[in-house]
Amino acid sequence: MLCNKREENGITILEVAEQRIDAMVAPAFKEYLAQVAGQGSTKILLDLAVVDFMDSSGLGAVVSGLKSMAGGELAICNMQMPVKELFKLTRMDRVFKLYDSVEQGIAEMS
Amino acid sequence: MVKKCAAKKISKKSINTFNKSILHHVKYTLGKQPEQSTPHDIFFAAASACHDQMIDRLLETEEYYSSKGAKRLYYLSMEFLIGRSLHNNLSNLGLYEVCKEAVASLGQNMDDLLEHEHDPALGNGGLGRLAACFLDSLASLDMPGYGYGILYEYGLFQQTFTNGYQREKPDHWMAHNSPWLVPRLDQSCIVPIYGHVEHGLDFDGGYNPMWLDWQVLIGVPYDFPIVGYGGKTVNYLRLFAAYSSNDFDMDIFNEGDYIRAVQQKIQSETVSKVLYPTDEKLEGKELRLIQEYFLVACSIRDIVRQHKKRYDTMDNFADKVALQLNDTHPALTVAELMRVLVDEEGYDWDHAWQTTRQVCAYTNHTLLPEALERWPVALVERVLPRHMQIIYEINHQFLQEVKEKWPGDASKTAVLSIIEEGAERQVRMANLAIIGSHSVNGVAAVHSELVKTSLVPDFYALWPEKFNNKTNGITQRRWLLQSNPGLAGLINETIGDAWITDLDRLRELEKFAGDPAFQQRFMEIKRANKERLGRLIYDTTRITVSPDSMFDVQAKRMHEYKRQLLNVLHIINDYQALIEDGQEPPVAKTYVFAGKAAPGYYLAKLIIKLINNMGMVINNDPRVKDLIKVVLQPDYKVSVAEKLIPAAELSEQISTAGYEASGTGNMKFALNGALTIGTLDGANIEIAEDVGADNIYIFGLTVDEVHALYAAGHRPWDLYNNNSTIHRILDGLNGDLFCPTEPGLFKPLFDRLLKGGDHFLLLADLESYLVAQNQASIDYQQSPADWACRAILNVARMGKFSSDRTIKQYAEEIWGIERH
Repeated sequence: MLCNKREENGITILEVAEQRIDAMVAPAFKEYLAQVAGQGSTKILLDLAVVDFMDSSGLGAVVSGLKSMAGGELAICNMQMPVKELFKLTRMDRVFKLYDSVEQGIAEMS
Repeated sequence: MVKKCAAKKISKKSINTFNKSILHHVKYTLGKQPEQSTPHDIFFAAASACHDQMIDRLLETEEYYSSKGAKRLYYLSMEFLIGRSLHNNLSNLGLYEVCKEAVASLGQNMDDLLEHEHDPALGNGGLGRLAACFLDSLASLDMPGYGYGILYEYGLFQQTFTNGYQREKPDHWMAHNSPWLVPRLDQSCIVPIYGHVEHGLDFDGGYNPMWLDWQVLIGVPYDFPIVGYGGKTVNYLRLFAAYSSNDFDMDIFNEGDYIRAVQQKIQSETVSKVLYPTDEKLEGKELRLIQEYFLVACSIRDIVRQHKKRYDTMDNFADKVALQLNDTHPALTVAELMRVLVDEEGYDWDHAWQTTRQVCAYTNHTLLPEALERWPVALVERVLPRHMQIIYEINHQFLQEVKEKWPGDASKTAVLSIIEEGAERQVRMANLAIIGSHSVNGVAAVHSELVKTSLVPDFYALWPEKFNNKTNGITQRRWLLQSNPGLAGLINETIGDAWITDLDRLRELEKFAGDPAFQQRFMEIKRANKERLGRLIYDTTRITVSPDSMFDVQAKRMHEYKRQLLNVLHIINDYQALIEDGQEPPVAKTYVFAGKAAPGYYLAKLIIKLINNMGMVINNDPRVKDLIKVVLQPDYKVSVAEKLIPAAELSEQISTAGYEASGTGNMKFALNGALTIGTLDGANIEIAEDVGADNIYIFGLTVDEVHALYAAGHRPWDLYNNNSTIHRILDGLNGDLFCPTEPGLFKPLFDRLLKGGDHFLLLADLESYLVAQNQASIDYQQSPADWACRAILNVARMGKFSSDRTIKQYAEEIWGIERH
């Protein structure tokens, strides 16, 4: 199971269950995000609490997820420091809204 | 006559405590019973016991700096030639005698034990050793200064000789089994390389260049604690090791290609595998560029992370941080810091640029054009696409400034631009470093002048205020107190030990220079040091040298500009005079050479072969009657230098004037009572000023005369044809005198001097060198007391050349850091 999915206040919350989003899981992760977007979710909050490493293919999968939402909103919360640094390093922090917690994300996106 | 130093009493309790700590580490670190332990185990356990005390003080130091909100200096260098550490650390902690007694109680001899430490060769020569001396001075001056470098798995190669030829063997210094290193896995850094930049928009619609499809390296820091003298302050040298981001590339692994997956992991970890030797051609060496970026990226990531943890803002970064770039190797710091400030911290370009310039300072170490780094634009673009964009932007803005200063002068933009146009466009790293720094310094007075007038005169015209001099220095703790305990002891007895932290105090020795009793003891110590070196020479080469002979030493990297070949030509002359003319030299001399040649530097390696062959011929010629001995001591490194320098009586510093930036070997030799024979080059000039013209043998062309000769045209053939001495020497070189079994072997050296134009002007300086050499031999032979007096004056007048003085100048004039 890549993610645990639940709905709250009209927001689809995806709790990622993998510690590493790298080349091994990135294709499946990308497909999964596209599938969720295809099911009509317009607001997705990605909870990365357990993710301690993401490589460029993982980052690419998240970017693809955003593109597949066609105007919808994809935000990220609960990032561990190495992953957060990676987002800043590649300037992805200016493409995705980043929140410290699920609660904050829900409050801001609602 | 003498001022007695109060002998420090060592309590039995402290010996017992140290002894217990050693035994604790034997058992719990090494997993052995004391009776099973080898001498190496005892070394390791003693080092670990010492390390425990260092860690306590390291933590206290950090707490203290933090409580004071101290500004910190980070010294970024691709090389730190730290040498062995146990003796130095114990001595600085005041525990040397304690440890000596403790290991004696375990049946071990301290001197033997110290030999068990592998000498980490994480540098090539002067530049790396300077960095290590600076760290010692920073800690001894209680200043918050840290080294940042790479944890090479293999240091500089081990040098051996086979039939006189240099052979290189890997130096596996056991980086991962050092008693000194503390891994900081929790502070690992992510370093992306390769990929491309996608020009996107951020959520506010602004331009947002995104760096995508990179590969990632992980930099793991290892801390090497640096103890200051007295043990109050312990700073650290942080060395980064490269790891792959995962054990395998799972994509490849899943395809079933296990070997390729492992290879990729190995490739990532290759980044910190090996130190490139100096003088190797580095152009286009992608791994070297990645190494340089790896150092810079890890350092900046770590420094920014620490700073933000302390202050939670980057607004005061320039008030709290100074970065010194040791040569151009870490010049990418300018682009990386800009990237972090703009891309990650969200500062606007101008603010980021102001901060970067306030923080960065650059030290130039060479005037050799081939040693100024250039990287192909295409390579930088491929490895660091975002940085190349930033470099273009820095250059664009800088060239506007140039155009304002020199309107319509395209030649200025061509020279000053970071990008060198041509068939293959290049990034000039020196230009990047100069443009991005608030300070540019040379490392000796003459060198700093040449930087301004010859190397980058247009930059000097643009920003004269940036340029300054910081004459290099050496730490007296290692290069006298540790390496020459006999002389250090005599000095302590005579004038006290204040010189250990204030080298100017050695001036007080001047009044003893003419004292026969003091001279006698001084010469006895020199003789003991010569005997110690003689044992090392015999153990490693099986050549016997006599301590009755005068020891003439040239120890440094093998390079044409350093002119080991000039020394060789002089020895050929002495040998020919002896066997052909029956003219004995004024004094029996032992010529000791030491130094490595870059593996790809053909001529330097041929000079090594020549020196070894000369030794074979001359040392075994019964006509010579041991009046001349020639030795090439193998595998020169810090621990060898510590035995070699205290034994020297004549120090060869004979580079072509204008080529040696400073030199630091010259300072070490003089501090240990060798007289210098040298050209007016680098720091020799300042040494000559301080020791006085009567106490040094200066010969050869000055910098101005060298330039004039280049301009007029040097004609080596005329010297060969018109000077019978030079003619005979060169024929000796060209003939088969020193290569009877390999005829013509040394012809390329002959050709280099004549057909090749003698670029480094050996023949122009040869006659005056022969005169100076002869005078030194006569002086040594005729009046040992006078020689001793002059040697003592050399020691007494070396105060300026302490790295403590250099560091105080950097701290006050460039870094703005303070003693704490």
